[in-house]
Amino acid sequence: MSTIHIPPSPFNPSDLTLITQGAEALVYKTTFLTPSTPTALKIRPPKTYRHASLDARLTRARILAEARVLVRCAREGVRVPAVLGADWEKGWLALEWIAGRTVRHALDGWLKAHGDDVGSSEGLEVKGLMGRMGKAIAQLHGVGVVHGDLTTSNVMVESEEGLEGDVVVIDFGLAVMSVQEEDRAVDLYVLERAFVSTHPQAEGLFGEVLRVYADGYKGAKGVVKKLDEVRQRGRKKSMLG
Amino acid sequence: MIALGLEGSANKLGIGIISHPSPTAEPHVLANLRHTYNSPPGTGFLPKDTALHHRAYFVRLVKRALYQAHLTPADVDVICYTRGPGMGACLTSVAIAARTLAALWDKPMVGVNHCVGHIEMGRAITGAQNPVVLYVSGGNTQVIAYAKHRYRIFGEALDIAVGNCIDRVARALRIPNDPAPGYNVEMMARKAVKRRGKEGELVELPYAVKGMDCSFSGILSAVEALVGQLATGEDDERKDRLKFSDGVLVTPDDICHSLQETIYAMLVEITERAMAHVGATEVLVVGGVGCNERLQEMMGMMAVDRGGTVFATDERFCIDNGIMIAHAGLVAYETGVQVSIEESDCTQRFRTDEVHIGWRDKDG
Amino acid sequence: MTNPGTVLRIPHLQDSLVYVALFQSVKNSSFLRQQLIEGNTTYEYAFLDASTILSTTHVLAACFRAINDATANRLRTRNVHSEIVFALSPNNNIAESFRRFGVADETTSLLAIKVIPTTGTAAGDSSATDAIATHLRGAVEGEPAPFTDEAFAGLSDVTRIRKLYKAPAPGSSRKKTGVNGTSSSLQELKSLESIIIGSMAIKGS
Repeated sequence: MSTIHIPPSPFNPSDLTLITQGAEALVYKTTFLTPSTPTALKIRPPKTYRHASLDARLTRARILAEARVLVRCAREGVRVPAVLGADWEKGWLALEWIAGRTVRHALDGWLKAHGDDVGSSEGLEVKGLMGRMGKAIAQLHGVGVVHGDLTTSNVMVESEEGLEGDVVVIDFGLAVMSVQEEDRAVDLYVLERAFVSTHPQAEGLFGEVLRVYADGYKGAKGVVKKLDEVRQRGRKKSMLG
Repeated sequence: MIALGLEGSANKLGIGIISHPSPTAEPHVLANLRHTYNSPPGTGFLPKDTALHHRAYFVRLVKRALYQAHLTPADVDVICYTRGPGMGACLTSVAIAARTLAALWDKPMVGVNHCVGHIEMGRAITGAQNPVVLYVSGGNTQVIAYAKHRYRIFGEALDIAVGNCIDRVARALRIPNDPAPGYNVEMMARKAVKRRGKEGELVELPYAVKGMDCSFSGILSAVEALVGQLATGEDDERKDRLKFSDGVLVTPDDICHSLQETIYAMLVEITERAMAHVGATEVLVVGGVGCNERLQEMMGMMAVDRGGTVFATDERFCIDNGIMIAHAGLVAYETGVQVSIEESDCTQRFRTDEVHIGWRDKDG
Repeated sequence: MTNPGTVLRIPHLQDSLVYVALFQSVKNSSFLRQQLIEGNTTYEYAFLDASTILSTTHVLAACFRAINDATANRLRTRNVHSEIVFALSPNNNIAESFRRFGVADETTSLLAIKVIPTTGTAAGDSSATDAIATHLRGAVEGEPAPFTDEAFAGLSDVTRIRKLYKAPAPGSSRKKTGVNGTSSSLQELKSLESIIIGSMAIKGS
């Protein structure tokens, strides 16, 4: 971005380390509540092209929507980053820092080292990871949450090496509350397309995500069936080519 | 090479003649004529009447175009027509006329996708290399990025096109359709800004962006529901009229302003998402709604914030026209694309990503 | 001069000095509560019933919210101290928050919190907190306890806290196990804490 971003109060730029910069929000690493609590600070900067009142209204609604979805997941016992603090007037959200790597990163590393073993016994590790992803997404859908932007960059695995470790879905900036089969199927479709285009070697293993997902909650099997329909339709909601 | 382009997918009949002196040289616009069918205020244009209009004006516009370009039918190399998408009766009328000319003059034909026409013309006119394209008109709303010989659709309106929304708001407010409902809405929005300032309070309207897509039927319904409560002017004395929080009466001008601010913010947002996703810095706005200066201004601000640029064309090219069909048709023809009269069909549904873009490099 | 309390270093709130002191076996809760009701200016504290507090993080979250809102001129209550009590509540009912989280006549373990602007020097901060410590030692009839999670674990009424925040009881049908493993009581408390902190964060929306 060419405009330098000044964080809203009470934050000072010197206390923040920029991690990612999306169209919607900037994510910084910092501490929150104690000097030893690592935190992901998500800031939605004002958009100058919008009428000020519309911008404030949207920022407020989006910070709140994300916070509410995360708290709902917490209440339902679904593991997601915890909400530590929020200020929807100023446009920021402080979330539990999930240590580890994205599934994208972890899988890339593993495939580089073991690419040819995907079908073998060592490939069981990948299969295990896929299954845990399927289970995590099923848990979200099972409590009425649709993520809205599932990619392998939005799922973390809590380990520094290899593919073992808990799977935690992150970045709920586009999440909505929905129990519609269509919405859930599209969630899976987006992930499938993302998976296939970023990890073509492991394409065949995506089925494991769906297999475990299908047993994840009542109605999951129907969603996997619906996914077929969504695939036939092709692009109506996918964002990848 | 010289191409005749014939466009009539909606209520504008466009006849254009373009020359490509060589495949690499800049194209020359030799003639660009258009006649618009407008229905009375409070109504929208119907396919039957529109097709009638296109049939009535076709011959005189083609004759005038040839005259302006100082050409005879013999000089034309290929007849390009809009294959789709668009209104059935209108597309068919123009297609039949195109076939007639092709038969009369013994020329090859090329069927062109209307959206691809807008995109190719926009690129040619503005010089944008590989922009994310926002194509917005009465019939279409798409965010497009080029990849591997396809114009891939990244985001779109899920229900009605933004231009359709604006046209129907105009209808609900009985705003004249001449020269174009969207143009009149824009003028009224400017009046509201003049009266209340740029940051004047907005009427809160539904904002519907879902991921990379957006929808407009919600905001249309909301506006239609408010119509009965609007003040006719600042001197409207009725007690039940809608007011802003400071007590000032809400007029149709204000609705136009609030509508624009909301729907254009939605379009800029989905465009920005696509740009972030593909890592683009250029954005090209095409289609009739792309003429709107407020939309261009907002898109420009977003692009600048990202260290990029916005490209837009003026009303000669953003409003439906025959030149874009001639140009897109000709670039395709130059790669060997053509249809016989028997094969020349048209279709109401024709997605932008169905077309093989053979004239561009695989990587841009 | 033993200092019974702790100065909290809350990231991003470097303009505020937050002094906390935990006491158990408190005998004069009624008196302390009375001082607050009368608006006695020497008793500008947040006095919390420590049995409603789960952990130190729980306290920190309330302090952050209250101080941040005070700085942004968004106080819903009289001052930052009453705001800390209010911040603990998952809903917007101010009176109810005092009844539930504030010191009551029956309170036996008390958390006292005082927020003052930083003085600008380490020495200045030190003498300010010493003054607070001295006052509290004299005012509160109880035994100082360290401001730690262990101390709160011994004092908190977890069942009551779950009720206050409408969090599901452990082992209830709504709870699900982790993707990789099973639930443990440490995990349950962590889960409860997340629910509490999250509810506090979105309160008032």
